Amino acid sequence: MSVFFSKMYKPMIGISSQFFKRSNINYQKTIRRYKTSLSRGVGKPSITWRSFIITTVFTGGLVYWVNLLREEKQKRENIERNRRIGKAAIGGPFELVDSDNTLRTSESFKGEWLLIYFGFTHCPDICPDEIEKMVKTVDIIDKNELVPNIQPIFISVDPDRDTPEVVGKYIKEYSPKFIGLTGNKEQVDKVCKAYRVYYSAGPQDEDKDYIVDHTIIIYLINPDGEFVDYYGQTRNAEEVANGIIFQMIKYEKLNKSSSLRFSSILKNSSNVQGN
Amino acid sequence: MSFPTKDQRQKCWGAKDKYWECLESSSEHQEACAELRTVYETLCPAQWVKHFDRKRSYLIFKEQIEKENNERVSTERS
Repeated sequence: MSVFFSKMYKPMIGISSQFFKRSNINYQKTIRRYKTSLSRGVGKPSITWRSFIITTVFTGGLVYWVNLLREEKQKRENIERNRRIGKAAIGGPFELVDSDNTLRTSESFKGEWLLIYFGFTHCPDICPDEIEKMVKTVDIIDKNELVPNIQPIFISVDPDRDTPEVVGKYIKEYSPKFIGLTGNKEQVDKVCKAYRVYYSAGPQDEDKDYIVDHTIIIYLINPDGEFVDYYGQTRNAEEVANGIIFQMIKYEKLNKSSSLRFSSILKNSSNVQGN
Repeated sequence: MSFPTKDQRQKCWGAKDKYWECLESSSEHQEACAELRTVYETLCPAQWVKHFDRKRSYLIFKEQIEKENNERVSTERS
């Protein structure tokens, strides 16, 4: 090819013909070198162990690095998402009284995972069902050694009748793990407002008995005192427990340098949850 | 007036379930289940009786609606 070119352009550009000649010689040299290398290299595999190991180590390193970057990105996205929607919407500080008449604030529960349910002790069927469900959920969580324990809390939406003693007596029937909280109307209103819980006492009969209509939702609070997730009536104990375990692992991963144990579980559970 | 204890709750629910079963099997003949109704009313607080009565009529209503919907869907399909 270059021979052809050098001949063709010789009359036109004298200097370049020199160049083409030289490059032609170079080309011939390269071909010769290649041929000798071929004859020498007969029988040698084109992929040597050395090149294989180098490639593997390099690719592995690259994959690890990309994964690391992706994890970092997810962490940042999660933090950003929490900042935008999670914190502001539901939850907040509260001050209530436990069954020993001790003041318990949201601050005093920090460092613990909380499962909160709002109800009243004269509740005919829904509260008992939901509280029984919570007892089962808490047992599942507490038995699981991979995740921290969880503190179940019952908050009364019937401050007139549910004194600290009454709430304590009521909730201990379900499980000694429960903490029952109540307060004056102002305190109960405040926590209900924070958690967007609606409650309204129905008409009284001759015995001054009444039923309180209220929101039926179980709330999950993380050790920072922030609302994380909620579970409605349609979810059973196992489903709620799975949801909580997923959130606990996610939290663990976000807040500490993740141990291998947690990250492998997170991968499995995120596949299941489709998140 | 204190809240019904676990034992009282379970007795009340048991009496309610028996009364409901009776109504169902006797095609809503309240006279046939009057005795069970009395037991149910003695074991449950009056408010709870009202609540469960309302709940039952709601459940029956819901069932009817669902049945009608299902029938409509199946006739539309055929």
